[in-house]
Amino acid sequence: MSQFTGNIDDFGMDTISLAGPLPAKLQAVRAAGFTQIMLSARDLTGHTDGVDAAVQAVRDSGLRVTGFQVLRDFEGLTGQLREYKIDIAKSMLEMCAAVGSRVLLVCSSTSTHASDDLDVIARDLRRLAMLAVPHGIKVAFEALSWGRTINEFPQAWDVVCRADAPNLGIGLDSFHSFAMKTSLEELELIDPDKIFLVQLADFMWNEIRSVEERINTARHFRVFPGEGVHSEQVADMVLRLDRLGYRGDYSFEVFNDDYQQMRTNVVAERALRSAQWLGETILQRSVPLPGQMRLKAAG
Amino acid sequence: MDTALQREGLHAASNPLGMDGIEFIEYATTKPQALGQVLETMGFHPVARHRSREVLLYRQGDMNVIVNAHVPEVAGANAPGAVPSIAAIALRVRDAASAYRQVLERGGWAVPTHVEVMELNIPAIHGVGSSRIYFVDRYKEFSIYDVDFIPIPGVDPRPPALTGLHFFGAVQYIGVDRSYDWTEFYAELFGFSALPDEERFGILPKGHVLRSPCGSFYLQMIEPEPGQLDIGGSEYFTRIGLGTPDVLASVAALRARGVGFSGSAAVPVSPRGALTDTQLGSVSFELVLDGRS
Repeated sequence: MSQFTGNIDDFGMDTISLAGPLPAKLQAVRAAGFTQIMLSARDLTGHTDGVDAAVQAVRDSGLRVTGFQVLRDFEGLTGQLREYKIDIAKSMLEMCAAVGSRVLLVCSSTSTHASDDLDVIARDLRRLAMLAVPHGIKVAFEALSWGRTINEFPQAWDVVCRADAPNLGIGLDSFHSFAMKTSLEELELIDPDKIFLVQLADFMWNEIRSVEERINTARHFRVFPGEGVHSEQVADMVLRLDRLGYRGDYSFEVFNDDYQQMRTNVVAERALRSAQWLGETILQRSVPLPGQMRLKAAG
Repeated sequence: MDTALQREGLHAASNPLGMDGIEFIEYATTKPQALGQVLETMGFHPVARHRSREVLLYRQGDMNVIVNAHVPEVAGANAPGAVPSIAAIALRVRDAASAYRQVLERGGWAVPTHVEVMELNIPAIHGVGSSRIYFVDRYKEFSIYDVDFIPIPGVDPRPPALTGLHFFGAVQYIGVDRSYDWTEFYAELFGFSALPDEERFGILPKGHVLRSPCGSFYLQMIEPEPGQLDIGGSEYFTRIGLGTPDVLASVAALRARGVGFSGSAAVPVSPRGALTDTQLGSVSFELVLDGRS
């Protein structure tokens, strides 16, 4: 039996943190000891042998798919643009279902062509949720910190409530919350059963002075939780979510140009250290709950 | 606004598509004759054959059942298998084109249909599993079958229903914790409404029951029992419910035709309802007490 390395089952890596082709990413994540992985549509479409081969590679990896990303600039559009985005959404949903993912991540729109009417946004998200029902997919709506209308998670939660669809919930990303300095106390207002995904990442500086810098940091300079300057806030966030009753997955959404120039196993080991810190030191997942039921082995 | 107009608004909201029952239910199978035999023991008669495909229309009373053995050129999820499956349910609506547009606007997923020359293009959306939901508005003055089907010579095109049998509903197996998703789906797209838990029909009071906006058709959604294995979250229509004004008379008439009703403590043959034995690995019918005929 291998040495116990801590309970990290709640945490997964994201393929966007790793360089190279999909099979190499799957192998590195698996070898590090993770049981789940967050996939991007590009992982499938960019596979040299095509989408079907990529789907097979994911299924053969034995890794559970945390979620599938990302549908952008979807909500609030009109006319042909709106119908065009429905087609894109359908394509994403089909691939999401094919890899066995139960969650599709949707980021709030940055489009200047999109309406800022919250009821229009909610209506479109509800339509997307209904499209996803036959596939058994949940839609996680995330506030991108440079979103045009929705750029903080309390607003995302507001439109999720307005849309009121059972398979539409919220996706949280620590980066966007820290970048916008959104109070974590706002988490208390969210129904934990409607949090469909939590993405965690940190970064290396305290102040982000402009939208451009925010976008640049988000896309190139994120680090794993525990590696940046907001470790206390990351710990605070997961503890708050845990107290709230959130029992879903945490995925490391770490876009980092340096990690793209490193061996995948080295990056995966950094992610593992982060997962161990959160799983063991912060959430203490290996400590049995008092009075926890234990099943006897079959005699 | 005067009262009459308000009433108008309420009616439109509760039945947005002008739904008016079920036009047909379609099975897919590569063994159409075996399924045909099962349907004939249930009182259905083959009445017409599709112009261009291996598709047969069975009928009794107001019920149309289509047996589709057509293998598409590109085999996909809809290609029939040896074990029959319920492949489609066609809703009667006021205006099919308008219903289709409304449903797409609310999150229906359009299915491209492949129509041959001189055939009707019946709009459809994705339903549960690989099934489809069709919208049909030509069911009064003339029917869709007049165009796409050729009557079988010498056969009564309108065979009466055995003991008043009629479509009552369909049972849909769904994944764990999926009741709310599907309830909302059927409510949002078609105007179905959930019945309170104490209102149940037949002998299998499980799951969640939805009533069609026209009040003539029910969907029963059943999640896996606790402890039962949820195999890959597979979801599908598992059987059709047939209404009858007298369950025991229908059971007697069907037994005389060779239909088995084994019965058990869990699924007894009772005046409230009865369940036929499963044929061909998947096909069973649930009889439900229902005064309409």
